[in-house]
Amino acid sequence: MQDLSRCPRNLLVCERSSFQNQKNRVSAQVEQMHFNYKVSLLLPDCSSAPSHLDKVLKSFSSFYLIKKLPIYKLLNEDFLRSAVYNGSVYGLSYQTHIDEDNCISLMPNGILTLSLDKDSFELLGFEGKPSKFNHRRRSRFVVTVNLTDSCMAPGERRYLRLLEGLKSRLPLQTDFLLSHHPGGGASLDPLLSCCDWSEHQPEVSVRSLTNLSFPVPESCDPHSFLQWLGAVEAGISCENSSNSFLSTLICPEPKTQTDCALSACVSGMLLPQDIQRLIGQLRCHLEQVRSWAVLTVHGFADSPMSWGGREHGFLRGGENFYSLLMSHDHTYQLHLAVGAHDACPP
Amino acid sequence: MKAANKEDESFQRVVLKNASPHHYMKVHLELEDNSKRLSAVELKHFIITGLKNLHGEVGAALNFDVLKYDEETLTALLRVHSSGLVKLWSSLTLLGSYQNQSCAFRVLQVSRHVFCNYSQSELLVESANYCEIRLFCFSDVNKRPPFLSGVSVLVSADRKQS
Repeated sequence: MQDLSRCPRNLLVCERSSFQNQKNRVSAQVEQMHFNYKVSLLLPDCSSAPSHLDKVLKSFSSFYLIKKLPIYKLLNEDFLRSAVYNGSVYGLSYQTHIDEDNCISLMPNGILTLSLDKDSFELLGFEGKPSKFNHRRRSRFVVTVNLTDSCMAPGERRYLRLLEGLKSRLPLQTDFLLSHHPGGGASLDPLLSCCDWSEHQPEVSVRSLTNLSFPVPESCDPHSFLQWLGAVEAGISCENSSNSFLSTLICPEPKTQTDCALSACVSGMLLPQDIQRLIGQLRCHLEQVRSWAVLTVHGFADSPMSWGGREHGFLRGGENFYSLLMSHDHTYQLHLAVGAHDACPP
Repeated sequence: MKAANKEDESFQRVVLKNASPHHYMKVHLELEDNSKRLSAVELKHFIITGLKNLHGEVGAALNFDVLKYDEETLTALLRVHSSGLVKLWSSLTLLGSYQNQSCAFRVLQVSRHVFCNYSQSELLVESANYCEIRLFCFSDVNKRPPFLSGVSVLVSADRKQS
């Protein structure tokens, strides 16, 4: 009889160091998480967003939503030349579920990933590998192609084989999110000119919190801290008594209280470089106010790729997020969380 | 819990495996009479009834919290100890009747972190309904929640026909 108390595994990586330590890995971890859809920020003892932070929050790069993009268009020669070879293009299929549908991602280093179900993979007729997270039998396959490789240059045999596969054998078409390119909209014209598209600005929301109890970060274990943080973000009360019928959730001890706090959130297709800028501004702000702040970045649950280009999947949850607790003395705690269908963050 | 320590002067890295004690479930109760409303207390009592029906007194003693509840949409965020997740989830799946009317629990999200239950990867307003029902896969409790939502609806649909 199956043990009903067993659950799929999850991992939480906790790193502690200082920004002034050369071995600190914050920048590396931020850069390796390519597909982010939400950044949330909590600033205690702060009633309104300082102007420099407000400016950074509102200056996240815009992104495009292309409706029903034929995927073979990603191999368009002009698009490759003007955008992919120069780097800095992020693309992700939209409203596709990684455990049910065919999902596509394009990373800034030119790696195109197609996460396909078995039938689609066999139809495509291109080399790939079985997914690391197949349930009982091989039902999902991953095709990974480096578009900047010489063997994938337009006209080469592999390029033509993939192009033909996507054009005739498996004409994949999906809504697609595409990041804004430093070269401007003209470099994305080969894709934008063939389909309906719309440009979107990441959505920013800010709210003030009053009479907030918060745990002392240094004395709190990571899971309790993340639980409290999630509760604050979701507007869940932590002021319950132990004999309450509905909920016994409380703020971890030892705790303290603040009269006001600021919670800000940016959602959209968010680029690592914008997040790096935000972290830089936060560090400057914390030096001035002598306080601490928490930044949480969520990755797309249905992205085929997660940290460092490793395969990502969805079992019961597709969590892949990290939470950065920063202090005014440049020390930080970085918590990286992944679910069952993810490798350990690097 | 396994932990791997890597301590080097002022840099420390620890990997915690299965250390989170709780799971969080976002659920939505769909009733035959859409205008009917339940309070948070009534909802929790209803779920305890379901636990008792399927898992007996031991199941009914399973401790879970209703962290957040929206009476208008009948959507709740539950917290349960990880060892009791399967019992709670299976009870919700097989709860098909409330006060002589058909009902179904749709399990929208399940995660070890509260964050993931109030976050969605559906960015834009015209995005698909996250709780779309899948009417297949009866027995696989190890998959994304909509699969089990399909089971709930099918049970209540059968009862409607009978």
